[in-house]
Amino acid sequence: MQMTASPAKIDDALGTSKKAPATVGAGLRRFADEWRSFWVVLSLAILFGAWEIAGRVPISYAFPTFLETLSAFGEMVADGSMIRAYFLTLQPLLLGVAISALFGIGLGVVMGLSEKAEWLLAPVFIVLQAAPMAALVPLVTFVYGIGLTAKTLAVVMLALPVIVLNSYKAVRHVNPSLVDMCRSFQGTRLQQIFKVIIPDASPVLFAGLRLGIAAGFIGVMLAELLITPTGIGDLITYHRSVANYAHMYAAVASIIAVSTLTLAGLQYVETHFLRPEKRRK
Amino acid sequence: MEKLTRRIRASAAAVAFVIAAALPGVASADPMRIAFGDIATVESLHLLVALERAKEKGVDIQVTYLKSEDIAAQAVVSGQADIGIGGPYALLQKVKAPIRIFMQLSKLQFYPVVNTEFYKEWKDLDGQEIAVHSRGSGTEAIMQLMADKHGIKYSNIAYVPGAEVRTGALLQGNVKATIVDSSGKRVLEDQAPGKFAFLPLGEVSATDEALFANSDYLAANSKDVETLVEAIVTTWREIAADPKSVVALREQYKLLPDATPEMIADIEPYFTEAAPNIPLNGGGADAARDDFEFYTISGALTGEAKDLKVEDFWDLTALNAVLAKTGTK
Repeated sequence: MQMTASPAKIDDALGTSKKAPATVGAGLRRFADEWRSFWVVLSLAILFGAWEIAGRVPISYAFPTFLETLSAFGEMVADGSMIRAYFLTLQPLLLGVAISALFGIGLGVVMGLSEKAEWLLAPVFIVLQAAPMAALVPLVTFVYGIGLTAKTLAVVMLALPVIVLNSYKAVRHVNPSLVDMCRSFQGTRLQQIFKVIIPDASPVLFAGLRLGIAAGFIGVMLAELLITPTGIGDLITYHRSVANYAHMYAAVASIIAVSTLTLAGLQYVETHFLRPEKRRK
Repeated sequence: MEKLTRRIRASAAAVAFVIAAALPGVASADPMRIAFGDIATVESLHLLVALERAKEKGVDIQVTYLKSEDIAAQAVVSGQADIGIGGPYALLQKVKAPIRIFMQLSKLQFYPVVNTEFYKEWKDLDGQEIAVHSRGSGTEAIMQLMADKHGIKYSNIAYVPGAEVRTGALLQGNVKATIVDSSGKRVLEDQAPGKFAFLPLGEVSATDEALFANSDYLAANSKDVETLVEAIVTTWREIAADPKSVVALREQYKLLPDATPEMIADIEPYFTEAAPNIPLNGGGADAARDDFEFYTISGALTGEAKDLKVEDFWDLTALNAVLAKTGTK
């Protein structure tokens, strides 16, 4: 039997070829468009179902079921500890991400535009991006102690290199014929930058921003688990130490959910308000 | 089709080979796997000595050093280690795993300390910020107990994990009131004599570290476990009677070969200070009841101390057998 599947075979298997004479890709895409939220719900339902079964088996005495975790989450929201924890966790996160976004896009664009800036800064950020930050975060405490500064710095350390390098590459890979066109129309350098280069670079700038925010979430969790336990890191550490595993899993799952929702929200804002041409029809 | 069946046959053969190769490792070697929730330091030298002595009596011991007590406890719960070291009361109560403590190794030994520029006694800490190890930890429970006893209330409790970190923070002036361990106490006394005051602590008796294992393991390996318990009880009594002997024992068993001269210099003062507090009879039911009192206050255990049953947390078989042989002190 051939191990590679020809398009015709996939068509047969899916039963789409007879109804839709268009390509398989188009058929699938149409189906996905119509049922998009259904698939998302199904995917989550399978995940949570598997979690519930794994918890009931149980795969470990310390592994709670999905429903236990959900009720622990409800309990923590009700008694206010979850909200207080997010209030604490979001401080270094928002501060760090804001600093990283501002400086990251700025530096990245400058590096993309000027060769001197590129030579000066690119090696630093490439090294920073390659460095295993989890090993460096504890060192931050030696200089900045254990307060908000250290935690914000941990977020910046993870988010900044990603944003800088993506912005820099975005500007570098701007379509040269657009830049040439701007020049032929006698556009000034400023017009070239703000009317041509940055708009053309914006998809990759946004991708970099999203990756940077995801890295920021990693940074804030590293800070809260490695520097001092506060916020969500404290909920995780505390509930682990008193063996409230359902609460611990609820805290972990909640930060994953918040991170995912933030990124999805950012993508929504990007496609709906800033770049409407990218929206799914 | 031909190709597919051949592939299936090949993978099946590969799986069978891998299982066959892995099985002997599981079946034949059966050492006592001990999970230690900390790295080996001067403070665990006496335990290392006792382990060496148990090895001499024919127990095949394999020690793994893990990052924290929680992880050691998880290793025992999941069966990747036979015996864990720590104080897993919360785990025992909340997770219905058949784990039991079978011997107390040490009691909590902490020293509340304040910077004398700001505070002199417990009363001065009313409305002030203090730093402890972590939420729900023994250090927090001690500070909370003393606050209740003196009728004071802290404005805030900061969590700074690691006694050495809190010691450093005290010396730098970032923290004005905290609680440190005995090596932290010695560092403070050496580096800034008179600058810090150690506040009096009433009677606080609670387990810091204990040995725990799956009850099936304890039943199936009672002989080895008794050998281990006996080695620890006799070593503990020897060291309590003569704290200096640890230095010689370290050389005799070639323990901590990488220890720096400072660490070696620390051995004698550490054990001299710890000696009066070393449990000579492995804890047992009395220690368990003290722990119920203490850990219900700390929040690790829920419910009333008097309602908790020793047999739900401890398995005293091995300890009682050993004490019957060696007598109690």
